[in-house]
Amino acid sequence: MDYVGPIASGIPMSLLLTVLGFAIGAVGGIPLALMRRSRLRSVRFISRSIIELLRGIPPIVWIFLVYFGIGNGLIKVEPVPAAIVAFGLISCAYLAEIYRGGLSAVHRGQWEAGVALGLSHGDQLARIIGPQVMRYSIPAAATYAIGLLKDTSIAFTIGAQEILFFADSQAKQSSDALTPYLVAAAAYIILTVPCAWFARSVDRRLRVRIAS
Amino acid sequence: MAQPVTDPAAAKSTGMDVSLEHIVKAYGEHVVLDDVSLSVREGEVCAIIGPSGAGKSTLLRCINLLERPDSGTIRVGDTTIDAGQEVGGKQLHGLRRQVGMVFQSFNLFPHLTVLRNIALPQERVLGRSRAEAEDRAMELLQRVGLGDKPAQYPSRCSGGQQQRVAIARALALDPKVMLFDEPTSALDPELGLEVLAVMRELADEGMTMIVVTHEMQFARDVSDHLIVMGHGTVLEEGQPEKIFTDPATDRTRRFLRAVLER
Amino acid sequence: MTVLQDWLGFLPQLASGLWVSVVVCLAAIVVGLPLGLALALGSSAGSRALRWPAIAVVEIGRGAPALVVLQVFYFGLPSAGLTLSSTMAACLALALTTAAYTSEIIRGGLQAVPRGELEATEALGMSRPDALRFVVIPQGIRVAIPPLMGFGVLIFQATSLAYTIALPELLGRAYSIGSSTFQYLSVLALAGLMYAAVTIPASLLTDRVERRMSRHLA
Repeated sequence: MDYVGPIASGIPMSLLLTVLGFAIGAVGGIPLALMRRSRLRSVRFISRSIIELLRGIPPIVWIFLVYFGIGNGLIKVEPVPAAIVAFGLISCAYLAEIYRGGLSAVHRGQWEAGVALGLSHGDQLARIIGPQVMRYSIPAAATYAIGLLKDTSIAFTIGAQEILFFADSQAKQSSDALTPYLVAAAAYIILTVPCAWFARSVDRRLRVRIAS
Repeated sequence: MAQPVTDPAAAKSTGMDVSLEHIVKAYGEHVVLDDVSLSVREGEVCAIIGPSGAGKSTLLRCINLLERPDSGTIRVGDTTIDAGQEVGGKQLHGLRRQVGMVFQSFNLFPHLTVLRNIALPQERVLGRSRAEAEDRAMELLQRVGLGDKPAQYPSRCSGGQQQRVAIARALALDPKVMLFDEPTSALDPELGLEVLAVMRELADEGMTMIVVTHEMQFARDVSDHLIVMGHGTVLEEGQPEKIFTDPATDRTRRFLRAVLER
Repeated sequence: MTVLQDWLGFLPQLASGLWVSVVVCLAAIVVGLPLGLALALGSSAGSRALRWPAIAVVEIGRGAPALVVLQVFYFGLPSAGLTLSSTMAACLALALTTAAYTSEIIRGGLQAVPRGELEATEALGMSRPDALRFVVIPQGIRVAIPPLMGFGVLIFQATSLAYTIALPELLGRAYSIGSSTFQYLSVLALAGLMYAAVTIPASLLTDRVERRMSRHLA
């Protein structure tokens, strides 16, 4: 039980990394998603390549690239900003794909109605399509955010002081290495499982509402 | 034929009929079957008609316990089941071995070929060898007019063909009674005819059949025994011709007028 | 030019690391997938004594980050008297994660089998194990194949986490080259591209299979 306090002190950092990484992705995912639907083949290809690369390379490699790769030679980067940048980049790709799913879920007739009403393309996106896409995207985005919270544990490898960081240092200090890690696992489960259940029930309700 | 009394088949089959007594089934407050009884003799074709929501399908599904009645007795041949009591696996198996069923939505297994759809249950339920089961399957496919389809997957067959395969699948297990749950309702009228033709043939061969249907022509021409249901009860039963020409209750009269005069 | 020359120099070591990553990934799948099927059946079983433990394992396996599970297996278990090699720990930890995630995928597939077909098996008098074996599982697995492939890509990426338990896989090799040559950016970029060279084609294949499956079902 002595471990719980120190390990719990890593929770704020885990949440901070999650929230900021997600926020960067939530904004950065929008242009990527729109580019995916561009009329120009080259634009579609570029966005697709960016998305595939960001998702195809493991998160820990992105963190290392930012922290050791860029941080070592070009500029000095602290662990926390490095982790936020890396998670933000990855989130851009995942959220872009989620938005894309939401965009294709919006009925064609909505665009046609916007055109028929004489709205500009920007107005259609911002006022008619966008809000609907956001609503369709909520369940998948929530699931992604939960996954991201678990992925932030990777930031411990570059020394960000989140949950696993403290569990690791407790384990290295005491003769019992097992309990601190189990406490860390429990912390993640307590943080994520209720959220996951909540997201799933919202998803179900939303499906029912959209279907009816 | 000459010595009906000593005919072993006839002697064995004297007990072979179906009876339901005092079947009650409710979903919460909603009573679907309200003390329904019915009996069907061996070789008889019994048609059940009535407006939707009358409880016809539920009643049929009670016979092989796909639907569990709240109370009542179900007897098929020498198997008797008291719905109020725990039903053992052996008892349930004994019941279902004697009863074949054909569904409105065919329910073929889409990942198996037509031939395997018919052969697999024989192998698993009756323990027939693969060769034996497939021989029997081919024989039945020919009988339902699909001798050229064994290697086809169900999705490549028309609805009428799928339903005929489903009939062959049920027959392959040598049931004593066949249940049909609106077998033509999901079909275009012309495809329905192929299925009805097979059913007519089965009836002529003396199969005991209980058929929930919207096909009034079939009910009138082919069945020996007609049951009209409404609101979870039997409104009227008896000779089809008599009921069609001179229904005893007002409700039956209204129903028949609605379906016949459209 | 110099970058390419550097990369050529790194390649042999990184390639042998990639091989370790692939082997660990395959081992995790080979062990985890059958376990996932068992958990899927367990967590949709009628009996509570089966269902609750299965659900607990699934929720723990999905709730705990793979990285934490790795630390538990490699650094934690020796305190409980069980010491595993880094390869063994990586395989078992990732197998547990695989089992938890794939069980949910498989459960979704099994639930996609229409109720009517189950009724048909009942009406035909087939036993419940037979219905599962011949009707539900073959179809459920088919529905689950595209998401299972997608998960395979993720678990391959997750092998990179085993760098933290001193497994000489792709990232581990890259990092050690980086720390001796200080060419972190260059070697990590190459390692990243090597991961992408596996995952991107796999993802494209998954997309294609998914499209084909959905066409087949319709």
